[in-house]
Amino acid sequence: MSSWILLPVFLPVLSGICLLAASFRMHLAQVRGETGSGFLMWALDRKKLHTFVMAILGITAVLALAAAWTGEHSVTLFYLMKDVPVYFHIDGIGRLFVSIVTLVWVLAGLYSLAYMEHEGEETGYFGFYLIVYGVLVALDFSGNLVTMYFFYELMTICSVPLVLHNGSREARMAALKYLFYSMCGAYLGLFGIFFLYKYCGTLAFTAGGSLNLSLMQGNEGILLIAVFCMLIGFGAKAGMFPLHAWLPAAHPVAPSPASAVLSGIIVKSGVLAVVRVVYYIVGAEFLRGTWVQNAWLVLTLLTVFMGSMMAYREPVMKKRLAYSTVSQVSYIMFGLALLSPDGMTGALLHTVFHAVIKSALFLTAGVFLYMGGRTRVDQLRGIGKEMPVTIWCYTIVSLGLIGIPPMSGFISKWYLASGALNSGTGVFEWFGPAVLLVSALLTAGYLLPVTLNGFFPGEDFDVAEVVKKEPPRVMLVPLVIFAALTVILGVMPNGLIGYIGQIVSALV
Amino acid sequence: MNTTILMVAAVLLPIFGGALVPLIPFKNRMRMAIYVETIVLMTSAVVAWLLFHRTDDIFTLFRFTGNLSISFRVDGLGTVFAGLVAALWPLATLYSFEYMKHEGHEKYFFMFYTITYGVTLGIALAENIVTMYCFYEMLTMVTVPLVMHTLSREAILASRTYMYYSIGGAAFAFIGMVFILVAGTTSEFVPGGVLDPEKAANWRNLLLLVYVLCFMGFSVKAAMWPFSGWLPKAGVAPTPVTALLHAVAVVKAGAFTIIRVTYYSFGTEFLRGTWAQAVVLIFTIITIIYGCSRALKETHIKRRLAWSTVSNLSYILFGAALMTPLGLVGALSHMVFHAVMKICAFFCAGAIIYKTGREYIHQLDGFGRRMPKVFIIFTISGLALMGVPGLCGFISKWNLAKAAVESQNPLAYLGIAALLASALLTAVYMMTIVIRAFFPGRDFDYSKIQDVEDPNWMMILPLVLFAVAMFWFGLHSSTVVSGLEQIASVVK
Amino acid sequence: MQFVQNLPFISIIVALFSGSLSSIIGGRKARWINIGMISLVTAMSVAVLVYVLGTGESYVYMMGHFPAPWGNEIRIGVLEGTMAVFFCVVMLLCMIGGSREQFAEIEEGKLNLYYIMVNLLLCSLLALIYTNDLFTAYVFVEINTISACGLIMIKQNGRTIVAATRYMIMSLLGSGMLLLGICFLYDLTGHLLMSNIKEQVHILDQSGQYHIPLLVAVGLMSVGLAIKSALFPFHSWLPDAYGYSTVSSAAILSSLVSKGYIFLLVKIFYRVIGFDVIMESKVINVLFVFGIAGMIMGSVSAIKESNIRRMIAFSSVAQIGYIYMGFGLGTEAGVIASLYHIFSHASAKSLLFLSASGITDASGDSTDFFDLTGAGYRNKLAGVAFTAGSLSMVGFPMFSGFISKILFAQAAVEDTWQLLPTMIALAISTILNAVYFLKTVIRLYTPEKPKVLKKKNYKTIHAADNPAKSVALVCLVVLNLVFGLCSEPIVRAIQQGLDMFA
Repeated sequence: MSSWILLPVFLPVLSGICLLAASFRMHLAQVRGETGSGFLMWALDRKKLHTFVMAILGITAVLALAAAWTGEHSVTLFYLMKDVPVYFHIDGIGRLFVSIVTLVWVLAGLYSLAYMEHEGEETGYFGFYLIVYGVLVALDFSGNLVTMYFFYELMTICSVPLVLHNGSREARMAALKYLFYSMCGAYLGLFGIFFLYKYCGTLAFTAGGSLNLSLMQGNEGILLIAVFCMLIGFGAKAGMFPLHAWLPAAHPVAPSPASAVLSGIIVKSGVLAVVRVVYYIVGAEFLRGTWVQNAWLVLTLLTVFMGSMMAYREPVMKKRLAYSTVSQVSYIMFGLALLSPDGMTGALLHTVFHAVIKSALFLTAGVFLYMGGRTRVDQLRGIGKEMPVTIWCYTIVSLGLIGIPPMSGFISKWYLASGALNSGTGVFEWFGPAVLLVSALLTAGYLLPVTLNGFFPGEDFDVAEVVKKEPPRVMLVPLVIFAALTVILGVMPNGLIGYIGQIVSALV
Repeated sequence: MNTTILMVAAVLLPIFGGALVPLIPFKNRMRMAIYVETIVLMTSAVVAWLLFHRTDDIFTLFRFTGNLSISFRVDGLGTVFAGLVAALWPLATLYSFEYMKHEGHEKYFFMFYTITYGVTLGIALAENIVTMYCFYEMLTMVTVPLVMHTLSREAILASRTYMYYSIGGAAFAFIGMVFILVAGTTSEFVPGGVLDPEKAANWRNLLLLVYVLCFMGFSVKAAMWPFSGWLPKAGVAPTPVTALLHAVAVVKAGAFTIIRVTYYSFGTEFLRGTWAQAVVLIFTIITIIYGCSRALKETHIKRRLAWSTVSNLSYILFGAALMTPLGLVGALSHMVFHAVMKICAFFCAGAIIYKTGREYIHQLDGFGRRMPKVFIIFTISGLALMGVPGLCGFISKWNLAKAAVESQNPLAYLGIAALLASALLTAVYMMTIVIRAFFPGRDFDYSKIQDVEDPNWMMILPLVLFAVAMFWFGLHSSTVVSGLEQIASVVK
Repeated sequence: MQFVQNLPFISIIVALFSGSLSSIIGGRKARWINIGMISLVTAMSVAVLVYVLGTGESYVYMMGHFPAPWGNEIRIGVLEGTMAVFFCVVMLLCMIGGSREQFAEIEEGKLNLYYIMVNLLLCSLLALIYTNDLFTAYVFVEINTISACGLIMIKQNGRTIVAATRYMIMSLLGSGMLLLGICFLYDLTGHLLMSNIKEQVHILDQSGQYHIPLLVAVGLMSVGLAIKSALFPFHSWLPDAYGYSTVSSAAILSSLVSKGYIFLLVKIFYRVIGFDVIMESKVINVLFVFGIAGMIMGSVSAIKESNIRRMIAFSSVAQIGYIYMGFGLGTEAGVIASLYHIFSHASAKSLLFLSASGITDASGDSTDFFDLTGAGYRNKLAGVAFTAGSLSMVGFPMFSGFISKILFAQAAVEDTWQLLPTMIALAISTILNAVYFLKTVIRLYTPEKPKVLKKKNYKTIHAADNPAKSVALVCLVVLNLVFGLCSEPIVRAIQQGLDMFA
């Protein structure tokens, strides 16, 4: 019996629901002028709320990691439909993703404790924050396509309130846009699932795919279309062109820790979904050399370049980072689209690194907001004098994203480039790396000015006026940890590479 | 023998029981409520008994001429519809006692409301096409007064439109019925159809044309484009009517009749792969998208839901028009699940209108905070309509799509795309309401909606039950669906 | 020979005699005589029907026991018997139901004239039903016309006189054509007795002689009777005649008089010419086309009408169209459907006219559509009755109209080229019927604005205020339901009757 692996799913979800209920009660009590009692008073007290949230996060994290790293558990929860179980199975890739999720979620949660003070409505925020965590763990543990889809949609819906947090008009529009694009993507994915259901032996994830060759005979055309729809659809979450537009809209309005997890983690679930579909259901063999692969490669490269370009032109910090995500996640998608071992290794490595780096970047942007409400890049002159530790962390992770050794990003890009060169995809063999290179230059161009202007504000800047003021410690600690991780993973990547190589060897 | 008598009882009890409502001098409102609820519950009990003691006996109430008779039988398909209606009616009646307080003319309302129950059961239990047609026409007549209920100018116009559409539809359905009587070997419903093979071969194109006309005729009640205009207009009726009749009983009766004529009269073997199938498929696909787009544009909450019904009913018709047993399973499961989802959404809308008098979506800012129960349940129903897994909407969509993929018909593939596009639009038109209600903005002034609060238990109870049902069916569908599969397995 | 065989003849004579009697007594007494006479004739007709049903075959009754060609014959079968019973019942109900209006709208001094006309009308209708002699038929057609004219113009205002004049002109045109047709036939065959003519026509048909004259004769008679029964496009006289005369007249005219001519036409088809000969001539195709046109155009005119009485009158045009369409199908099933529609239309139309008068009573005697707003609340019984009549007209199941609609449709399916036009016309006509009838019903149940109500000062009418009409309305509703629910024996009787014709 390994049903206990579902504890890290249910625990945060249920406690999140409790928090939401408390939030509603609180509101009604305020309106009616009741003083409230018991649980209500308890939830109103910020200190206790924080303790509760961190306790749940901590316990869940421990449980999730324990579940992930103690062997190949599988659980069938119940049958959604007669032949479609809700089935959980922990495999290598799920393990990897769960670990990233847990890392980022706990650290961003810590950061939120301080940050959310100025956003208000904390109870509601933490309620959804916990729920999404539980859903993500479930998503990573999913053992078949329908289960994954189930939690994929839940994730979208539960994360909408995070975007919507401040309830302003822009936030509403952004949330709707997020919902629309995500749903559009999910339904495109579902469209494919319907077909795969018919043409696959099983929807359970099988390394190398489970297409039923005899059934498929003569229906390759429609199946390729279905798979392409799924790529576009799940690619929406990963910010792949043409369904990328929600990212720059949703990120600026969401609270910064929410943006951090959106960009660091939720976007990655799109990547996970694509990995699952391509490598575990359809099989790389089926797609290799087809128009679908070519179209996919074109789309990813287009997105890589376009994202960088847009980021480069964008003056608002969080939007700039959002475009950066668009571009960087398509690195991952490019790696996956190569359908080669090296490409896939690079993609998975980049998944990990990007999660760490982009979370750190958004948390930094949050610091700028928190400490003086600075949203635009040109407001950040001299910021290095004001909060040197923060900016150092920022600089380190930026260098990682650009891909400068010895930061982690270099490793993943190396694998991506070498994967492309050996992939046998014709023109993409040299064109891909070229685009990646140009994009890296652009990345430097949009990330480093903050550091440069921060530390070297120029002659007309009155340094004396600046008061040195770092953010509160709970906000600083996650940043430092992320920066440290960027360096450590860059210097000692072998363990990770070895682990990922093991996963990849079974797939391609 | 017992069973056969009970069938008639199920139909006639509410008809006569309802007709008596205005004649009995009730001392107070409560007594009338108890009387009506008793009638409804008794009927539901009879139906439940019938469903669990199914026999294949036929009961003929009387004969018109020759082979035209009014007869009843409980068969698989009928049980689905009868069971659905019987389960929902008592809850809806309970809800209406509270709701109708502020509408007036209650006696007449409950009279027609209860009669409609019997007539709907008549459609469900009809053994032959004549009986079904008769009850179908009667359904129009007994529901017109319900649409007219408020007697406002708008209501009168709406009821007129409703009546014209319905009678017009029935007139074309009539043609289909006559052809079945003449070209069929029997007027009874037989799984797989009753067409005389010789006549079917001779009159092939004519019969296909008649089928299309008949489909269009019956589809008026199921609000298929271009005959969907009446449904949103009829939204002026009191909410229990819009919820139960215009989301379940009446409109599903339209879908049910179409399933009957398709699978039990004309027969799918005759129709599958013909131009007639293509035509009806195209119409349903257009409606799926059209209804959603109109819902998106609509700012009146009940009308928005009505347009959503238009689209969702065509899911059912789409499933039926696939003309495979799997398609029938899809259609039936959506028939059941949509009923639960939509009645729930309508009851939420009704609760809002009843408690606050506000009917337009832009007036709902911040309501989620003040009437959390209603809006949480509304959100659940919205998610279910979108087809989020874990809720029942997903199951029916899955079944429909599965059937469409299996049918290997390119139009059916297009239909899947339409289903999903419609789900996307559903997400937008439902979630805009939800977002507005829960997130009015940081600086929203809650004192403006001081009067807004959750209604009492009579209204909340049905809502909670529906919400539970949505989860239940969504998470544990196999019992229901395998039941439906068994029913569908008899058709070819 | 049994006594009961005399009854048809006696009933004609009784009707005729009571007419003469009424001329010398006062109006109120004449009314009682009239009611009594109709009841008596009803009873006798029932007896005859029972007898014929019992023996299962028709019989010929020679007046004064003179054999043809000197004597005159009447012939009674199941169909004739049923028709006679039905006509008497409907007429009785119409007369009872409209009695208050008769007293109110007809000058005191002329009241007895009215009853004379009604008695003569019944007499002529019975004669048309029973007669076996073509010339006798013509004579009674004329009597029928004259008395119908009287019925129209007895309520004296300008419009009725115009209407009566129009009716007279059109009717006489029709009679003239009928007479011409009869003359042609007489020339060709040398007989006036139906059965004799038929034998001769059969011979002519076999030998192929006189094909054109025969065709012309058939055409003349058909068109003549069609004009008289207001088949589109010869219906221009109808709306005024039905719309402005007193209610009993309108009800009787629309439900009985036109039907008498139609029944005569059926007799000519079956008993005089022979149905197969008719089939060969393309006359019925013409009837079919005009029938279909009438179904649509009558309803369209009715939709445009804002006077409720005229609206119902126009609806008759449509319904007559149904009947001719049934003939036009050229099958026995079509004729059965048409004959059934005679019953169902007559019962529904008289119900509609009577209830409409109840409704207008509650609306300040205005027949204007807008004044009827909310009348269903002011006169509940009339409102319900009108609704029932409307539903019957629309062909709502459980009412008589549904059965005739279904019979028409089934008859049409047996045929080939008429099939689609019939089906489409049926569907469209149903929709159009629904448009104007149900619009009116909804109008009746739309509450009037209180301001208007106060100004107009409508009176509320209870069922007990006019018991005669209430009884008549209830009976007619029941009649409609009977035709809608228990159609089996009636259809069988029609079938049996038609078999006896041949």
